Amino acid sequence: MIEPVPTVLVVDDSPTVRKIVQMTLQRERIRVITAGDGLSALTSVADEIPALVLLDIQLPRMDGYHICQIIRKNLQFRTIPIIMLSGKDGLFDKMRGRLAGSTEYLTKPFDSVELVQTVKKHLVGWQQRMPPQYEGMRSRLRHRG
Amino acid sequence: MESQDRIMDGDLQTLGLQSILKMLALSGKTGILFVHSGPETLSISLRKGQLVALHEESYPKSDLLNMLCLINKLDPPRAHAVREASQGNLQVALAMLVERNWMSAEEMQYRLEFAVTQSISHALRWIDGRFAFHRQLVTMESWMQPLEIDSVLLEALRQADEWEEMGETSLTRMTVARWLPEVSNDVRSLGLSQEHIEVLCLANGEVSLQAMAMVLMIPEARVVRIMNHLLALHLIEVVDTALEAELQQDLSNIIIMCQHKLAQRRQNHVPNQHLLGLIETLSQCINGLLIHHGTYAKSLRGRGQLPFTEIVRYLERRFTQPLELLAKQQYPILDTLTFTNGQLDCTEIIYLDKLVKGEKLEEFYWEAVLGLATFLRTVFSTLLNDEVGNSHTGRQLNYVWKAFLTEIDQEIQQYQLYRAHRNTQQMRSRYSENVYQIGPGKSNIPQGDGNLDRLPETQRRSI
Repeated sequence: MIEPVPTVLVVDDSPTVRKIVQMTLQRERIRVITAGDGLSALTSVADEIPALVLLDIQLPRMDGYHICQIIRKNLQFRTIPIIMLSGKDGLFDKMRGRLAGSTEYLTKPFDSVELVQTVKKHLVGWQQRMPPQYEGMRSRLRHRG
Repeated sequence: MESQDRIMDGDLQTLGLQSILKMLALSGKTGILFVHSGPETLSISLRKGQLVALHEESYPKSDLLNMLCLINKLDPPRAHAVREASQGNLQVALAMLVERNWMSAEEMQYRLEFAVTQSISHALRWIDGRFAFHRQLVTMESWMQPLEIDSVLLEALRQADEWEEMGETSLTRMTVARWLPEVSNDVRSLGLSQEHIEVLCLANGEVSLQAMAMVLMIPEARVVRIMNHLLALHLIEVVDTALEAELQQDLSNIIIMCQHKLAQRRQNHVPNQHLLGLIETLSQCINGLLIHHGTYAKSLRGRGQLPFTEIVRYLERRFTQPLELLAKQQYPILDTLTFTNGQLDCTEIIYLDKLVKGEKLEEFYWEAVLGLATFLRTVFSTLLNDEVGNSHTGRQLNYVWKAFLTEIDQEIQQYQLYRAHRNTQQMRSRYSENVYQIGPGKSNIPQGDGNLDRLPETQRRSI
């Protein structure tokens, strides 16, 4: 029997961060896809419809706040939890992230245990959050699970 | 599941699995028998008293295709294609291998039968647990030919006896082993049997004992014997998966921390400050790795709380020599570095600006950056080799580490570009000064505003 696994999109311009997050989450049996800039991130969201997005704020071409706003404005993707990753831990940055529509805020350098806990917390019920046109896939997954 | 479908349930202590299966076979029952013991569950599908499918829960699924690649029975591209199409379903994967003529139908049947026998043999040794038989349940989809319960039980009992005969062993079905890093010789020279070599090939720190038995189709008890022999020969070691996960987490945190520091200092565009920032980041990274190694070094493990002085002595013994060698052969500035309490002390380099100024200071900083970057690579490869060796975890960490080194290299390259640009500028200005000193009329260089871009092509090239 196949167990459905959630997909997490990691958006960060640092290859080190992308690979560490990938390694850490894959250990928890979570599928990870990555993007190094804002535009690739939006393409990945549309193509893969991840169950969760880990989004760095400082990105080339388009910053994390902007990407977050675009995702939130789209009816199809607006329920995807977005965890902002940032080196800035000021109240202003957190507020800005919240206003852009982020679900949670993780400050860099983050602890890998904390990362896993936060991701798992927001992955609860991910199958139910899949967009309506994926109803077919959802019912198949439910059937298998 | 409707309770009226459950026609039989009870305790394994009252009625053993062997008796239950015999009873169901004799009465020609159709349905699923669920057997639980602790976290383990076995679902055995029966149709008219014959075994048609078996599903074992609680064990992580092993990648049979990958393992077939490891023992050279399947090409990685073929394995990849089948893996993609079968989506992790073992039976579908085997059926696809048969369909594409990469495996015979007989081998598939034998593999499926072997997997069933292994699982039942394991369950036969359960003492505590419960069972329940449900009729009228749709039997699980299976590619396997129906099996006679008697023949399965006979082989399963034989294998269970093999386990019992072995007596006390620390190895379990989920034991994972890996080659010791020291093993670099050709294993054929060790005089091992084919089975030993195959087990050795699969001992990559990722494949469990149960999975090895499955892929090699050798009873688990025999794999235990082979592994014990390889352990005695110091060719493999048992992996402590919990410790490895902890170690991986700790190293990940160190790398994340160092990457963060590197990114923070990236903002600095003043050359001296940029180099100083790199020196500080590199030394912090080295010290982070030294602290980590003081906790996870193989020779310090499993000895409880060790005196701090012993850890310090170990670290200094391990890393002083490579540092001295680097200082002697390539980067003399590293001579100013010392080990203090098991940590690399870079104070002399950091406060070098009190003694030296200008270009000379920059030269020293530059040499220190190159030296520390080289030493950092040495420290990481030494500790990784010692702690996890050539294992799955080791390869994953190496993969991450390479990404981090790329970021450091980019920083170094950025400064190299600046240096090259500055040198060119200096040469150009010196050239202009020379032209000026020769004086107008004595030179055949066209006079103008001194802009080197306007010099004839041949002259620009010589510059």
